[in-house]
Amino acid sequence: MSDANLTATTRSADLDGKTRDRRAFDRSFGQQWLRKLALPIALVALLAGFALADDRILTSYNLLNIAQQTSYLALFAMAQMVVILTRGFDLSLGPTVSMVSVGAALAMAGMGGGEAGGLVVVTAALAAGLALAVACGLFNGVVVALLGVSPLVATLGSMNIAIGVATTISDGRPVQGVPSAFSQVFYTGSLLGLPIAIVIALVVGVALAFVLSRTVFGRSLYIIGTNPQAAAVAGIPVKRLLVYAYLLCSALAALGALMMTARTGSGEPNLGGTLSLQSIAAAVVGGTSLAGGRGGVATAVLGALFITILSNGMNLTRIDGYVQMIVLGAIVILGVVLDRLRLSAR
Amino acid sequence: MTSADITRTTTPNTAEPLLVLSGVTKRFPGVLALDGVDLDVKAGELHVLFGENGAGKSTLINVIAGTFPPTSGSFRFGGEEMSELTPHEARAIGISPVFQEFSLVPSLTVEENLFLGREKSAAGVLDAGGMRKRARELIGELGFDLYPKARVDSLDRAHQQMAEIAKALLGNVKLLILDEPTASLTERETGRLFELIAKLKTDGVGIIYVSHRMREIRALADRVTVLRDGRHIKTLDAATVTDGELVELMTGRKIDVLFPTIAHDPGETAIEVHDLSTADGLVKGVDFVARAGEITGIAGLVGCGKSELVRAIYGIAPIASGSVALRGKLLDRLDPRTSLRRGVAYFPANRGVEGLALSRPIRENVSMAALDLSRYQRGGVIRRAAERALIGPIMETLKLRPPNIERAVGDLSGGNRQKVMLGRAMARDLDIFLFDEPSVGIDVGAKVEVYEFIKRLVEQGAAVVVVSSELPEVLALSNRLYVMHHGRIAALLEGAAKTEQNVLSSFFEEESREKAA
Repeated sequence: MSDANLTATTRSADLDGKTRDRRAFDRSFGQQWLRKLALPIALVALLAGFALADDRILTSYNLLNIAQQTSYLALFAMAQMVVILTRGFDLSLGPTVSMVSVGAALAMAGMGGGEAGGLVVVTAALAAGLALAVACGLFNGVVVALLGVSPLVATLGSMNIAIGVATTISDGRPVQGVPSAFSQVFYTGSLLGLPIAIVIALVVGVALAFVLSRTVFGRSLYIIGTNPQAAAVAGIPVKRLLVYAYLLCSALAALGALMMTARTGSGEPNLGGTLSLQSIAAAVVGGTSLAGGRGGVATAVLGALFITILSNGMNLTRIDGYVQMIVLGAIVILGVVLDRLRLSAR
Repeated sequence: MTSADITRTTTPNTAEPLLVLSGVTKRFPGVLALDGVDLDVKAGELHVLFGENGAGKSTLINVIAGTFPPTSGSFRFGGEEMSELTPHEARAIGISPVFQEFSLVPSLTVEENLFLGREKSAAGVLDAGGMRKRARELIGELGFDLYPKARVDSLDRAHQQMAEIAKALLGNVKLLILDEPTASLTERETGRLFELIAKLKTDGVGIIYVSHRMREIRALADRVTVLRDGRHIKTLDAATVTDGELVELMTGRKIDVLFPTIAHDPGETAIEVHDLSTADGLVKGVDFVARAGEITGIAGLVGCGKSELVRAIYGIAPIASGSVALRGKLLDRLDPRTSLRRGVAYFPANRGVEGLALSRPIRENVSMAALDLSRYQRGGVIRRAAERALIGPIMETLKLRPPNIERAVGDLSGGNRQKVMLGRAMARDLDIFLFDEPSVGIDVGAKVEVYEFIKRLVEQGAAVVVVSSELPEVLALSNRLYVMHHGRIAALLEGAAKTEQNVLSSFFEEESREKAA
């Protein structure tokens, strides 16, 4: 009955608006499913393709290896995704990893290295890593949010600064003397039969998913990325939250850096290497939009998985490392092109 | 029918006028912008187009400039029927428009802009010397104080206007279109422009001149055509028409949408603004008061600073000097977050740009200005069930159809989008509401719902400020009406004095005061 009343009183112009609303809804609904399933399908296809080429791919040993390797890249992709959500990105992520690696190794060596107790060593590494991450994130956040410098320029600058710091404090050489207690916590240890790297990535992933979807902070990041002006008008403290986003990005990168340092057993001044690009590639290929406001833990992790499987498969099928770089570069561009297409299809 | 109103010159003239439009109609989706308009412009004549915002003046000059074709009607220029005219062709045959929205490229120099799209070249190589020489000659001829090598973005608005005029006059001009060309010129530059216009007229150039300024119409016009609601009302001889007659023709009677009758019950002062100037200079020394239980309107032309005034009160437009007090309490800092906490809401005119996060669901768009309240979150964690339970009924009261609050706002029509904005006002406790062009871009049915919403707010004792370029809207809604002009308050109209004619004449009075000063 209320429906009949409604149609009787609605004007024709309004009716047009409603049909339009419904059609747009149907269309976007179909697209959403396509978007969600595209990458998992690609992943399965990729695995199957490599498995045909080499039967070592689908062994349980290699699959666990892939999972473990993915954990590192997933952490960095999640870090990157947080700032990409706000229409930014962090080119300094790789060098931050290097800087944290040598910084933490130096701190542990300063505490007496293997002589000191495990707790002291781990605390020293965490403190040094966190301090450097905060410095980095704060720098990026302040330059981007408060000074209004574009993320490209800001993090390109801080990228060089971080490389400089990492090389200077380590004299450009690996910092030895990472105690086994540290490696125990961040690399060799395991929980419920799972390697510690996978456990850490899982915990971080679940926590970050909660933060992004259930907290005011996470919700605000999506709104800022979708429309920063509207966010400001609605009273969301845009600048402050942007600084937090860059801080969170650097903190996650630092955690990954500690894990990688534990794995290599030394502080490496070029540990970060191509991680900036890899993490952006993973996030974007997974479906995080560089235009901001779209993406999440799932897109970062799926993207990381995709890239890890790709490089794992390329390693096993003996594709040259430099060719792999070409592939990675092409994938970033492909990811961005796909993102453009998705946005313009709307 | 309206064509009968045209007063044609009685001198027998075998030659056809330079420009002849007859029965030109332009329809945009949902809007009839021009409805059978007739207009003719003779060589050597200055023809003024006169009318309110939305009367169809810009649409008409855009049709003539080839920006878009008319939906129907005949358009003859220089004795030839024009069809499928493009802006480029229009320029080539001598139709030169100067719009209010500048067509200059900010990062190029003045001379590069003059020749943009018609660069002189020899064998594919730009003839920079030749272009520079011609640019200098032209600027010298015009007597403008303009440096040809200056980058456009380093110029102020007045100088950009000069560059725009120079650009229009480069090449062979037969019909010049000037859209409020003096809006940003000083007295001296205006004088120059007028001399130039006189010279162009003796050279046989026809000029279409859009202006609200009586003084200019008096000084320049040969004939005046009045437009209203997209229709040609009358073409008059400028020498015999009076100011009063023009204003009357311009305002006329309108087909109004149904405005609700609102019971205003003015209570305590909610907002008191004293001697306020904004950092961008668009608001200059404004005193303004809004009270609880009534609608305070602010009327004015585009760019008069009315929107910036409420934006400054809300805390988006930075303030240079002056003070804002809410409920008698002087404020030391203004930003959207604290404004919302003090119970002030702002509804931006451009909802797509400043209001909504289009790809996010309705629910998030409604709650986004209220997430600091404990109803919606606990310790920074959103209470999702509570959020749904609060937002759902709000959108139901606002008659959102279909009533699904999980859909992306980008999929909604204009009217539903405005409802999302209104919903935001209901998501927290507020009692001061600043509406910036509340009915722009929405259909008639949704307009009525917005007016009803505003009526409910006022009758519940809220203080409402409505900023609008639509004169009938602010006139009908407001209890007290401020008229702004060039960043200042030109008048405060109440009761019987609150008429369309008074609003318009206060523009003109302020105008002459400014010129005298």
